[in-house]
Amino acid sequence: MAQCLIKPDIDFARSLSEAGGESLKKCYQCATCAVACPMAPANAPYPRKEMVWASWGLKDKLTSDVDIWLCHNCGNCSDLCPRGANPADVMSAARNTVYKTLTEPTCVGELMSKPQGLPILFGIPALLWLIVWWLRAGFNGGTWFPTRADGSIVFGDIFYGDYTIDPIFMLTFFGALFIIARGAMKLWKMFSPEGKLTVVGEKKCWVWHLWDVLVEEVIFATHFDDCQKGPKTGKPEAGRRVGHTILVWAFCALAFVTAVVALGHWGGKVIPAIEITTPLKPLNLIKIIANVGALMLVVGLAMLTIRRFMENKKTHTSNYYDWYLLGVIWAVALTGIFSQIFRLAEAVGPAFLVYYLHLVFVWMLFAYLPWSKLGHLVYRTVALLHVRMYGRKY
Amino acid sequence: MSNAILVVGGGFSGLTAAIEAAELGHDVYIVEKSPWLGGRVAQLNKYFPKLCPPSCGLEIQFQRIRKNPRIHVLTMAEVVGLSGQKGDYNVRVAIKPRKTPPHNVDFTFLASSLDGTTPSEFDLGLSERKGLYKAMPFAYPARYVLDTDTLSKADMARLAANEKLNMDEEPREVSLQVGAIVVATGWKPYDVTNLSNLGAGSVKNCVSNMQLERLASPFGPTQGNIVRPSDGRIPHNVAFVQCAGSRDQNHLNFCSYICCMATLKHCLYLAEQHPQTEVTVFYIDLRAPGRYVKVLEKVQALPNVHFIKGKVANVEQGKDNTCVIQAEDAIRGEKLTLNYDMVVLATGMQPSLATEKLPLPVPVDSDGFITGGEEAGIYACGCALMPLDVTRSAQSGTAAALKAVQTVKGR
Ligand SMILES: Cc1cc2nc3c(=O)[nH]c(=O)nc-3n(C[C@H](O)[C@H](O)[C@H](O)COP(=O)(O)OP(=O)(O)OC[C@H]3O[C@@H](n4cnc5c(N)ncnc54)[C@H](O)[C@@H]3O)c2cc1C
Ligand code: SF4
Ligand code: SF4
Repeated sequence: MAQCLIKPDIDFARSLSEAGGESLKKCYQCATCAVACPMAPANAPYPRKEMVWASWGLKDKLTSDVDIWLCHNCGNCSDLCPRGANPADVMSAARNTVYKTLTEPTCVGELMSKPQGLPILFGIPALLWLIVWWLRAGFNGGTWFPTRADGSIVFGDIFYGDYTIDPIFMLTFFGALFIIARGAMKLWKMFSPEGKLTVVGEKKCWVWHLWDVLVEEVIFATHFDDCQKGPKTGKPEAGRRVGHTILVWAFCALAFVTAVVALGHWGGKVIPAIEITTPLKPLNLIKIIANVGALMLVVGLAMLTIRRFMENKKTHTSNYYDWYLLGVIWAVALTGIFSQIFRLAEAVGPAFLVYYLHLVFVWMLFAYLPWSKLGHLVYRTVALLHVRMYGRKY
Repeated sequence: MSNAILVVGGGFSGLTAAIEAAELGHDVYIVEKSPWLGGRVAQLNKYFPKLCPPSCGLEIQFQRIRKNPRIHVLTMAEVVGLSGQKGDYNVRVAIKPRKTPPHNVDFTFLASSLDGTTPSEFDLGLSERKGLYKAMPFAYPARYVLDTDTLSKADMARLAANEKLNMDEEPREVSLQVGAIVVATGWKPYDVTNLSNLGAGSVKNCVSNMQLERLASPFGPTQGNIVRPSDGRIPHNVAFVQCAGSRDQNHLNFCSYICCMATLKHCLYLAEQHPQTEVTVFYIDLRAPGRYVKVLEKVQALPNVHFIKGKVANVEQGKDNTCVIQAEDAIRGEKLTLNYDMVVLATGMQPSLATEKLPLPVPVDSDGFITGGEEAGIYACGCALMPLDVTRSAQSGTAAALKAVQTVKGR
């Protein structure tokens, strides 16, 4: 019989408790949860095995476990768990551990893991954009809140695109992309079983698998519906699909707008025909898409936030990672909308201040992405791709 | 001042308490809610440790009651009021009309000629009973009950002229002077309709362990043949679902102590009746306290009984009235979806006082078990106190009787 030496890591078990899996010690391994989860496959069901790894402090096993990403956190398992061990929270805590430790520099992960890190995380972009503001104020003859002759406000007069906003954001964006790509590669290696695994049956190139994942999971989030195919819990089902999908689509719309504007601006310097200058007129198609996107963002956010508040606190707790992400996206959405309102109302002070905050929060959203819950966009996609390559659906 | 003792509940523990106290020379009143004595044990096919039919143990108790003029049995009766204090209680008891004569009249023939029916409480809905009925042949008191609500129009007409029956008997109330009270209200099977993921009682051929006792009983709905309720066929395979609604904070938050043993007993019933039937027991841990481990070893040695560690968390209706169950085999780490001809939910014992309140000053915990009352001269025993087997229920009955006797002694 194969022997296995177990090296429990008590600190890890403790840190998991802190990261949201407090109830984990109550588990008595009854395996109800593995049945409660409609997504858990027959030959490697979860989350019971994760519960025992977690309470034994088997960090390597848990953080390299692909299943923690396949969990969609519907909470069926916690609803049916006879002990109130809240397996869904433990799965979520395990994911949080990965956000915290997967990618270098891990000191950011450390700061991101608890509210005490927030002042520093906020301070960095706050200082950055303050310097930009201060520099530009110098160009404007010391005016921190400039208005044009007709009284209109142009944010570019302070936060000038070509030399400040665009390079800083491009650097941030591609930097984060680079870091998260490294993380994704590391994760892929961790997922891969030792030795060789032969997959029987139909095989597809990974590109097609990725396409399927993006369409089914990211764009339409169909698996949120599968969550409801499990055993009857006797509790009302939380429809998360709509809120999540609206949010994803809102992000797509805003990303599209950003891309078009960037292309129009920079491309316009080469091909004048496609030039776009900001601010756009209210009835411009791109502007309409931007505003609809912003509105959808708020609606989706409101749905997800209300759901979190309505949750049964006994079986489902929202942890700091959940609130951080919701909070930052709320901040991005609200500062975005209000900076526009103040700009149109020609309230120059509030307009610049709120726009400045908007830049701070957008920067936070992108720069810290690899260590935040938003990282699941990449990590979960990697996990889904991985299992599909090995013949599982999810 | 009174040195009489009231026993509320005429199950095994209550009967034991009553007999012990009466044999020590005290007047005892047994107030039993149902029409007959014996409690849940009367519903069993056989009971361990000796695996004898309930009549053997209960028969002796009934003999002792019959012979002892100090014991007064009030059936279809409930305590509705209490005044006074320890040593000197006045208890009001409401008695429902039985509508049959006080002496034992055999109505077998008349009863079978009636046509109105209702689901039998004693058989837990597995059979229909008539409006004139007696739950079991060895019932004590051996009197029939006339339940006029179940009679059809024709039945009414037929019975109206029968001078032995009193269709218009009214409910009445009596009051008793007692010095101490024993509460032996026992338990009831946990309500399966709460178990939404286990089919909530709506999956055909998915029965509770108490229903299986009725199926196995020679006086039960199938004359003792363990068959599928839907079609009367011998099941080829049977699954037992342990801890169905027990050790579960959403249901009974305690281990019911008996259901593992009850399942092992049921495995023996099946092995004896249908040696070909494959039996699988799905469990979290198997609890065979003390010397009961011998029973576990015996069952484990049976060739057609298998054990899988993993709780069944989903039961659905399958094709041909089979039951589809899902569980994770926690040792192999595999999720199983299996079809069974019959599934037995090993439901636990919920204290009667979890859902009803007695007009007595007895505190109960959040599960409904009695936690005190002794300072008021009120003593609990049997499953009203904690989940127990028959032997220990009887022992606790004796203990309660002795305490009650000490309370009223010399008054
Ligand atoms: C499936 C199953 C199989 C079992 N098999 C065995 C076995 O083989 N061996 C074994 O030792 N044990 C067995 N048991 C356990 C056994 O049934 C109990 O130990 C026993 O019934 C306890 O007796 P009791 O007197 O405490 O309660 P009960 O038997 O429940 O008696 C309580 C009595 O009180 C009456 N009552 C309730 N409320 C009131 C009220 N308000 N006023 C007046 N009267 C009231 C009830 O009608 C009942 O007659 C089994 C249990 C289960 C679930
Ligand atoms: S987490 Fe809950 S349901 Fe899962 S094995 Fe542990 S106790 Fe059972
Ligand atoms: S006796 Fe067995 S089946 Fe009953 S609750 Fe305890 S462990 Fe579960």
